[in-house]
Amino acid sequence: MKIDNERLHRALNPRSVVVVGDKGPQYMWLTNMENFTGELYSVQVDPNEIPGIEEKQIPNFSSVAEVPGDVDLVICAVPRQVTPIIVGQAIEKKVGGISMFTSGFAETGEPEAIELQEKIVSACLEDGMPLVGPNCMGVYNRELGVKFNAQQEQGAGSDVGVISQSGTHGIGISLGAQRLGIKVGRTISIGNAVVCNESDYLEYLIDDPASPIVVMYLEGVKEGRRFFEKLKELAAKKPTVIWRGGGTDAGARAAHSHTASLATDTAVWDGMIRQAGAIPTESLEDTLDVLTTLVHSPPCSGKGAALVAMTGGQSVAITDQFQRAGFDVPELTQDSYDVLGEFFVTIGGSYRNPFDAASTIRSETENLEKILEVLAEDDNIDAGVAIELTTAGFDKDPERLDAQLSLLAEYREKTNQPVVAMMPEGGAVSGQAEVVVSARARVSELGFPVYPSFRRGAEALARSQSYWHWRGVPSS
Amino acid sequence: MTSSNLTEQIISAAKNEGRTLLTEVESKNLLMAEGITVTDAHLATDADEAAAAAEKVGFPTVMKIISPDIAHKSDVGGVVVGLADADAVRTGYEEMLRTVRESAPDARIDGVSIQTMAEPGIEVIVGSTTDPQFGPVMMFGLGGVFVEVLKDVSFRIVPLASRDASQMIREIDALPILEGVRGQAGADLGALEQLLLAVSELIERRPEIAELDLNPVFAYPDGAIAVDARVVLHEE
Repeated sequence: MKIDNERLHRALNPRSVVVVGDKGPQYMWLTNMENFTGELYSVQVDPNEIPGIEEKQIPNFSSVAEVPGDVDLVICAVPRQVTPIIVGQAIEKKVGGISMFTSGFAETGEPEAIELQEKIVSACLEDGMPLVGPNCMGVYNRELGVKFNAQQEQGAGSDVGVISQSGTHGIGISLGAQRLGIKVGRTISIGNAVVCNESDYLEYLIDDPASPIVVMYLEGVKEGRRFFEKLKELAAKKPTVIWRGGGTDAGARAAHSHTASLATDTAVWDGMIRQAGAIPTESLEDTLDVLTTLVHSPPCSGKGAALVAMTGGQSVAITDQFQRAGFDVPELTQDSYDVLGEFFVTIGGSYRNPFDAASTIRSETENLEKILEVLAEDDNIDAGVAIELTTAGFDKDPERLDAQLSLLAEYREKTNQPVVAMMPEGGAVSGQAEVVVSARARVSELGFPVYPSFRRGAEALARSQSYWHWRGVPSS
Repeated sequence: MTSSNLTEQIISAAKNEGRTLLTEVESKNLLMAEGITVTDAHLATDADEAAAAAEKVGFPTVMKIISPDIAHKSDVGGVVVGLADADAVRTGYEEMLRTVRESAPDARIDGVSIQTMAEPGIEVIVGSTTDPQFGPVMMFGLGGVFVEVLKDVSFRIVPLASRDASQMIREIDALPILEGVRGQAGADLGALEQLLLAVSELIERRPEIAELDLNPVFAYPDGAIAVDARVVLHEE
């Protein structure tokens, strides 16, 4: 029986959750779910564990069948030998779906473990039961407060939906994105993905309002063709970032031909992702970098960037990185130069683009406003502004940064072009390490992508712009 | 005989002999039958046949050894170019068989292929293989001896859309060479796109094909032609 999308929807957006087999002293699952907006129940038969659950005032039962009302999601954390019993109970209870934290199945390579996995898989398939996992962290739903990590945020709104084959990376992407001011609407840690596979989740996200952008961490897929087709459909609708891990270059299959010997796993995946129109990344930083720009920027595919640095040396460095990433750093129009010439401090400064602007911007925020007004009117600039922001002194005078950001927000609003904030490590205008960190956090909080190096900012913007170019967003 | 019959005949002949690897002549005949531009190649099993075939394709002529046991023909003296007339072809045939037998004494030799000598162009490789996760895929890259080292190639999944063909060509690092450097004429990128699309269609139409190399393809300012070809069938 095919897995019913309606049931998967119930499992991923549950109104009632049963945690089976949680254990003290932490009671990790029940604790993570403390602020769950729906009904929370426990199933535990171990007399040593029951008092701790009762102390948390969570109703406990001895089987799933005894839980009152409809159950949308069973979180299964029992020892692996017990899993077939719990799956049986869940089927009988007609629950929405199961998220199985329990590990020790096919991933061990042991014949008994593989057999056990086959047993629960065939029971689920026969019933049409969506099984998330096994060997996974399962389901995070921001709005409903379904969590698999205590630090995951709760509340309305979503910028991105995440699918991860690795539990660690599922947590890493969720928490990392949160810290960058991004609302992660849902994360699904899919584990062995033996009943619902990668393509099933991807298909679900195509129409999922909680996933306006999609990030996936994947190592391999079971139905390659279907995955490709679904990915194409998804990427045509929503920005989709694929971080592929575990790619090996051990190609050399039947090496009758040059093509076969060159068709390494990594090379084919890279081509597949590009062909589908998704954004390939290679690491957690890469992934979060491009995600931040996608979330905090209007769709834009321009190539002409305005670069504002605070010193001469940094204006050269930022230009190198943007050019390397494929941007143009065009001269401005004569009209722009005429206006800039009226107020710009050119002793120890320059406004040709790149800008060397410390002497001009340091004195008063008003000058930044004038620069941004000029840039907004200049037709040569269609890829937005990347600006190095001064972090020294942020601890003593945080309002100054806020004032600059509010001008940058106005610019972004008016031009529909991105603004990328740069707070590089070790720049002449940066303060102590902890000041830089808190200044960056403020920039994230106010809804801007901010990067610790020009290179990372330039690459993130380039990836995002080329996605929008693929989608047919005109350059200006 | 219709082209589709010819393709089937070549494929079934190989299968009947228990082979998955087609010879260069078979590969090229198949490709030609399927509408892909390759240099015309004829099988010759003795010196006179070689000379006669050369008269047919015209001089100067290229001669290549045909052996199921030899993967890299030029390494064993199995490629000679620029044979100017029938006598040169006859002498060349005897010499080639002698050299190859010395270098690869255990190799079975089916004869030689005689073909037109194409004008040199920018060498590119166009290929297809079967990926274990995604099925048939296409490859494009700059050809020649460095392709295996530099791995400057791009892949896409079959079937290709024209946008895919266009991007495959434009995403390799060596693109400036194809566009023409230092006043040299570039390659006809449109013709290369058409070639990629034609091979993609062939692979879709003929699921028996597991791997395919057109290496090299000579790309000219106007058009492109596959000079060497290798087709590998799926094991049954």
